Amino acid sequence: MLLQSPRNTSIWNFLVTAVAICLTSTVTNCSAQSDEDFFESNVRPLLVKHCQECHGEKKQEGSLRLDSRDGWSRGGDRGQTIHPGQPEKSLLIEAVKYKDSDLEMPPSKQLTEQEIAVLETWIKRGAPDPRTESTTTTAMSVEEAKKFWAFQPLKLPAIPQDADHPKSQNPIDAFVLAQLKKQKLSSVPSADRRTLIRRAAFDLTGLPPTPLEIGAFLNDKSEDAFESLVERLLDSPAYGERWGRHWLDVARYADTAGDGSDYPVREAYKYRNWVIDAFNNDKPFNEFIREQIAGDILARDGSPEEYADRVTATGFLAIGKRYGYQASPTYQYLDFADVIDSVGRSMLGLSIGCARCHDHKYDPVSAKDYYALYGIMQSTKWAFPGGEEQKRPAHFPPLVPAKEAARLDQAKQETLARLDREIAGLKRERAELNPNFLAGGADLGLESQKPGQPPGQPWVSAGPIDVTTEAQSPFDHIHPKGKVGVRLGSGQPTDGLRYVFENGLRATPGGQMHFTVDFRTVAAAEQKGAFRFYLGRGVIQSLAVQCSATATEFAIHNGTEWETIRKLTPGTWYTLQLTIDPDTKMYSGFVGTADDLTVFNNKSTGANWDGVADCFICDGFGFVEGPACARDIDNVGLQSVAFNAPGTGPILPRIMETALTERLKKIDGRINNLTAKRQTTAASIAYPLAYGVTEGSPVNARLQKRGEPHRLGEEIPRRNLEVLGGDLVAKGAGSGRLDLANWITRPDNPLTARVFVNRVWQWHFGRGLVATPSDFGTRGEPPTHPELLDWLAAKFIASGWSVKSLHRWIMSSKTYQLASADDRGNSAIDPNNRFHWRYARRPLDAESTRDAMLAVSGNLDREVPLAHPFPPVDTWGFTIHNPFHAVYDSNHRSVYLMVQRNQRHPYLALFDAADPNQSVAKRQPTTTPTQALFLMNSPFVHEQSQDFAKRIITVTGDDRAKTLWAFETAHGQIPEEAEVQEALNFVSAYRQQLSKASSQNDQEKAVWSALARVLFTSNQFLYVD
Amino acid sequence: MNNIGTTRRDFLSRASGGFGAIALAGMLGENIAHAEDPLKPRAGHHAPKADRVIFLYSTGGVSQVDTFNHRPQLTKDHGKSITASRWLNTSGEFKRFLIKPRYNFEQHGQSGAWVSELFPHLGSVIDDVCVLNAMHCDSDGHDKATLAAHTGSAQFARPSAGSWVSYGLGTVNQNMPSFMVLAPSAPYAGTQTWGSDFLPACHQGTHVLPGKEPLPNVRPQMAEGGLQQMELNLRNKLNEIHFKKRAADQMLNARIRSFETAFGMQREAPEAFDLSGETAATLGLYGIERDTTAGFGWQCLVARRLAERGVRFLELIDVGSSNNWDSHGNMGDHAKLAKAIDQPIAGLLTDLKQRGMLDSTLVVWTTEFGRTPFHERANHAGREHHKHCFSSWMAGGGVKGGIVHGKSDEYGIRTAEDSVHTHDLHATMLHLLGIDHERLTFRHAGRDFRLTDVHGRVVDQIIS
Repeated sequence: MLLQSPRNTSIWNFLVTAVAICLTSTVTNCSAQSDEDFFESNVRPLLVKHCQECHGEKKQEGSLRLDSRDGWSRGGDRGQTIHPGQPEKSLLIEAVKYKDSDLEMPPSKQLTEQEIAVLETWIKRGAPDPRTESTTTTAMSVEEAKKFWAFQPLKLPAIPQDADHPKSQNPIDAFVLAQLKKQKLSSVPSADRRTLIRRAAFDLTGLPPTPLEIGAFLNDKSEDAFESLVERLLDSPAYGERWGRHWLDVARYADTAGDGSDYPVREAYKYRNWVIDAFNNDKPFNEFIREQIAGDILARDGSPEEYADRVTATGFLAIGKRYGYQASPTYQYLDFADVIDSVGRSMLGLSIGCARCHDHKYDPVSAKDYYALYGIMQSTKWAFPGGEEQKRPAHFPPLVPAKEAARLDQAKQETLARLDREIAGLKRERAELNPNFLAGGADLGLESQKPGQPPGQPWVSAGPIDVTTEAQSPFDHIHPKGKVGVRLGSGQPTDGLRYVFENGLRATPGGQMHFTVDFRTVAAAEQKGAFRFYLGRGVIQSLAVQCSATATEFAIHNGTEWETIRKLTPGTWYTLQLTIDPDTKMYSGFVGTADDLTVFNNKSTGANWDGVADCFICDGFGFVEGPACARDIDNVGLQSVAFNAPGTGPILPRIMETALTERLKKIDGRINNLTAKRQTTAASIAYPLAYGVTEGSPVNARLQKRGEPHRLGEEIPRRNLEVLGGDLVAKGAGSGRLDLANWITRPDNPLTARVFVNRVWQWHFGRGLVATPSDFGTRGEPPTHPELLDWLAAKFIASGWSVKSLHRWIMSSKTYQLASADDRGNSAIDPNNRFHWRYARRPLDAESTRDAMLAVSGNLDREVPLAHPFPPVDTWGFTIHNPFHAVYDSNHRSVYLMVQRNQRHPYLALFDAADPNQSVAKRQPTTTPTQALFLMNSPFVHEQSQDFAKRIITVTGDDRAKTLWAFETAHGQIPEEAEVQEALNFVSAYRQQLSKASSQNDQEKAVWSALARVLFTSNQFLYVD
Repeated sequence: MNNIGTTRRDFLSRASGGFGAIALAGMLGENIAHAEDPLKPRAGHHAPKADRVIFLYSTGGVSQVDTFNHRPQLTKDHGKSITASRWLNTSGEFKRFLIKPRYNFEQHGQSGAWVSELFPHLGSVIDDVCVLNAMHCDSDGHDKATLAAHTGSAQFARPSAGSWVSYGLGTVNQNMPSFMVLAPSAPYAGTQTWGSDFLPACHQGTHVLPGKEPLPNVRPQMAEGGLQQMELNLRNKLNEIHFKKRAADQMLNARIRSFETAFGMQREAPEAFDLSGETAATLGLYGIERDTTAGFGWQCLVARRLAERGVRFLELIDVGSSNNWDSHGNMGDHAKLAKAIDQPIAGLLTDLKQRGMLDSTLVVWTTEFGRTPFHERANHAGREHHKHCFSSWMAGGGVKGGIVHGKSDEYGIRTAEDSVHTHDLHATMLHLLGIDHERLTFRHAGRDFRLTDVHGRVVDQIIS
C-alpha cells in the first residue's frame, strides 16, 4: 500500500508533544525531524522494502499486516507486534534481531544494525504512523451473502410463456427457449432415433444399446416411445452402476486409505454398493444425504431391516484420504480437513475447507464456521483403516445394533475362553505327566532351535541375536545339558529376547514363584551399558522383578532403586535364581557360580505388580545407560516349586514308557485340534462391519490459528454455518451429526437442492447450469439459467427428492433430444453451447469405454462382484517403505474395479477417471498419445477385439453382412456406404496380406479382430453424439 | 507472451488473462482446451535461459554434512552435547550429541568447492555446479516433504513442477510426451509426485520404468508393421467420414492426431531408449556397460537422449520408498547410494556440456530434506530427518557454475545466510525457463493456484 493517506490529526497533535530520542547518529537528522518526517524518510521505506511483501495487502503471513497502523495494532498470530514506546517489549524488534530461531524476520537476510536502530527509535517515539487501513476487502459478510444469488431462498419460478409455442410445452424447454431468444440463438433440429437411443443408453447406463434394443426402439411407433425407453433404462441395474459412479467421484471414493502405506479397506466396497443401490432404488436424495452424514444415528432409532444399510452409508465420511499412521488424534486435523471440505463441496457447493486457516477470502464462511463443524467431526468416532504404526483396522462400526453386537462379541469371547481353559488344562496335564517338562518346559524349546539363526517360535527376538553352540551354559542342575544357548549382540535398547510361558504363574495364597537363568558377558564385549532381565506379566505390562548387568557388575531392582549386588568377570558363566513371594511382594535369591554365590534377601517387587508372571525379557534397558554389552543366556526357567541348587548334580533326560508316550501323543493331538479351532474362532467375524463412523464423546473444538493444531484459540460451539442459520447443536444431541444432516437437507437450505440438480444437469449435458458444480460461492460461475435451476430444485424437493423424476423431466425435454450438429450462426454467438442450442458431443469416460468394449466383445460380467481379493488381514505389514499396491483384473463393470489412491489403477488414471484424493466435481477429459498407444497396443483391447471377432465370424452371410453387423453392434449406427466399402477393402487386403502365413481359421480370426480393433478405437465408438 | 497469435491473445484478453485462461476454459467445460492444443510449444513471460529441465531426485533425505556442506567445527565438536529446539515436529528442548561427518571432504576444481568423498566424480565437474547449502523446507515427514519438493504443497494433491512447466511452455516434439519420469519405483507419496492433479491430464508425467519395456503398449502387437499401418489407415478413413459431418469439433481432430503421434512414438520412443548407437566412450562417461537396461547411469543417458528429442521436463528418481537415503540406522548406507548416482550424474553434466546442451538444459538435484548433524545417542551411526537445513544443487541452464550459495551455522543445523526454501527453488527453476512463478496460474475450485502457492522468491544471485 503506497497510497498517501490523509493526514491524521492525532498524529499532528502527537507531534507537538513528542520527544525525539536519537539512538544512533546514522539515522538521518533524527532529533531534528518531526515524527511524520521521521516515519516517511526512515520507517516507511524500510517497511515497504523488507516487510510489506509478506505482511501487506497481498499476503498476511502470520495474519500480520505492517502496511497500516490498524494492521500492526491488531497484531498477528503471535499477539501484539508493537508496544509503542517500548521497543524492548515489542515482538517486531525481537524478530528483526533474530532472537528466536523460529521468528527471524525478514527471513531472507537480517536487517543492518542501522535499520534495526531506526525501528527501535520509531517505536520508542511511540510508533507514530499516519497510514490508515485500506478498505478494500473482498470477503463477503453474512449480511451481504443474503443478497447473493446462491443464498436466496428457493422459489418456484413461473414458467415463461411464449406466444409461438403451445402451453403444453415442456417447462425445461420453455426456460431454455426464453434464454435462446434473448441470446438470438435458435436450436438445431432434434437428433435421430438411433442417436437418441445410443445417447440415452450411455447416459443412463454407461453401456451401448444392442442392435435388438435399437430395433425395438425404432419399431416402437407410440407417442411415448422415448419415455418408455428412459423407463426401461432407469429400471436396469446398470443405471445405478453408472449414476452411482458419478456420486462416487464427488465422494472421493477409493478402496485404499491413502496414507503413505495406502492400506486396503476391505469394507469400502459396501459403501460403493450402497450408493449404487440407492440410485437404483431412487432413494429420496435428502435421505441419501442424511444417511451419509448420520446413518449410524438414524439406524439406532430406525427399523432393524435398514440398520446395516444406514451404518454403511456413513462411509461417505470415512472414505477420504487418511493421514494417520495409527488410530490416534495426531493427524486427525488433516482427516477432518478432508471431510469438512468434502461435505462442503459435494453437498453445499461451498469451499468451506478454505476457512481452515483464516476466514474465507471471498465467501461468507468464517474460520469459526470451520471449527464449529470440526467439533462435530471431533465428537465422532472414526473407523481406522490401518497404517504404518498400527497395521490393523480398528473401530469399524458393526452392521448389527450395539446390543446384538455386544451379545455376539460376548458369545465369541466365551467360546474363546472355554477353548483356552480346555487347552490350558490339557497342557497342564501334559506338563504333569511328562518327566522332562522342566522349569516351564523342556529348556523352553531352545534346544530345538537352529544354530546360526535368531531364535524362532515360541521365542521372540529383535536386533543382533543368534542361537549358537558357543552360548551353551555349563550349568546342568535344572535342565539337562544341551547344545545351544542364545547370544545377544549390542543393539538398540529395545532389541533383545522374549519368552512367554504357556502356563504362566499367578499368585495363589501361600504359593511362591521360582525363576532362573544362566548368563555371561561375552568376553570381547566393549560396550559399557547394561542389559536387563525382566519378569512379570506380558510385555512390561506388570513388572514383578528386574535384574541387570554390565560386563562387570550385577544389579537388582529393589522397589524403585537399582542395587548393585556383585562384581562379574566377562566370559564367566553365572546362574541366577529368584524366589518370589506374591503375598508380601518380596523376593530373594542368589547369583554367582557354584562355589561363589552372592545371596540377597527381602527385596521389593514392582509396587504395582498384579501377581502374574508369564513373560521373560532380556533387553537393553539396564541400570547403566548406553549400548548394552553382548551376552550369552541359557537355561531360563519358571515354576512353582523350588529349583535344585547349582552344583547338585546333573539332570539327565529321562526315558519314558511307551504307554506314557502314547498318552502324551493323544493329549498333543487334542491340544492341536483345540488350538486350530481356537484360531478359526478368533479369526471369524462375529458380525459384519462397515468403513464408517459412530458417535464419540461430544466436544467443542478450539479454533486453530492458521490451521495449525498446536496453536489453539477460543472454543467454538458446534453449530451450523452462520450463513445457513448458525443453529447450535442441542445439548444431549450427541456429536451433532444428525443436526448437521438435517440442516443440510431442510427444504429452506438454499444450496443443497440447487447444487444437486445442477450436478444432474451437468452429468446429462456435460456442463452444469452453474459451470462450477462444487463452487456456488462468489468465485464460482453464476448460473446461465437461474430460473430453470430454481424450477428444477423446487420441483425436485416437491417430488420428494426423487432423482429418477429429475431424469424423466430432463430427458423428455426437446433440449435433451437435440442433435449435436453444428450451426455457424449459433457457434459465432455461443461457441461453447452454454445456452443449449444443441446437445454437446462427449467423449466416453474411462468406465464407459472399457465397459462398452467388454459388452460388445461379449465378455462383460454383469454380476455384482464379491469383495476385492485383498491379502488376508493377518499378513498386513504395509509401511511407507513397502506400501500396498495391487491391480485386480476382472470382466465386471469398471465401477467395480479396485480403486487405489496412491498408486492409481493404470487404466483409470490414463483415461482421466476421478482422482480419489479429493472430491471431483467434473472430470477433465484429455486426449493423449499414451491413450492412443493403449487403444492400439494394449492386451486388453486386443483381447476384446479377438472375442468380438469370434462373434462377427458367427454372423451368417458374406463379408458385407458380417461388416454391417459389426458396425451396428459397435457403433449403434448403420454405416454409410463409403464406410462399408473402406471396411470391405480393408478386410480383403488384410486377408491377402495374411494369406501366406497362417491357417484359414487363424486368418479369419486375425482379419476380423483387426476390423474390431478399428471399430473399437474410432471416434464413432469413443464419442457420443 | 509475445509469440502467441492473435486468436489466442484475443481469447486471453477476454478471459482473466495470463496462462490461467486455458485452464478457466477447461473448468467451464468449454472445448477450447481441446481446440487449443495444450502441448503446443509457446513462449513464457520473459526470455528463457533454459529450454528444458532434468530434475534429479534422491529419495529418503540426503545428509548435508556428509555431502556438500563442509562443517569442520562439527568434526571438532564431535560427541559434545547441544540443546536442539524442536525434534521431529515435537516442540521443546532436547539434549543431543553432535555427530561428525562419516565422510571426508576435499576441495575441488577452480572454485575450490568442498565436496565429500561420496561424490568424487561430481567433484571433478563442480565448476559447472552451483551448490545450495542453505536449503530448508517445512516438513519432517517423507510423504509431506516429498510432495512439497515436487508440487509445492505438503498436504494436498497438487500438480507437479513438471506438469506446471508442460502446461506453461508446451513441448517441441509432438511425438513424445512433454514430461517424463524415469524411475525404478515411485518415491514416497506415489505417483502423485508426478501427477497433473487439476491441470489437464496431458501434462502429467509419463512414467518410464527402467527395464526392457520402459513404455507400456509402445510396441505393436502385430509382428508385421504393414498390418498396423493398414489399421491406422482404415481408422483414419472412418474418422474422416465421421469428422466431415462434425467438422467444427476439434476434440475429434485431437483424437485423430493422437493416433498419429502414438504411431510416431512407436517408432521414436523405442529409438530414444535404444542405446546401441552410443559409443563406448559415452557409455563409459555414465559408467555403464553395453546392454544395460536399468540403473541410474541408464536413466541419465536416456534422459540426455530424451532431452535431445525435445522432452521438456525430465525427472530422474534414483530409488523408491525403501532402501533409500533414509539412513536412520547407519550413515554407511549413504556410500552405496552415492556410488550409484555419482558417476552417472557427472557423466550427464559432461556429456551435455560436450554436446553444447548444458547451457540450455537446467539440471537440478535435490532431496526431500537433510539429516540431523546430531543424535539422541552419542556416537550413533545414523542420522534422523532434518528440515531446517539441507543441500541441493543446480547446474547449466543459466545458473552460475562453480559457486556455493547459502551458508548454514557451523554445525549445519540451521541455515544462516542466503537460505533457499523449496518454494524458492521452484520459483528459480520457472524463472530460468522464462516463466514468472507468480503469473503461471490455473483457476481451480474458485481460486488461482500456482506451483509456489503464495510463496517463492527467485534466487537472483545464482543466475548468470
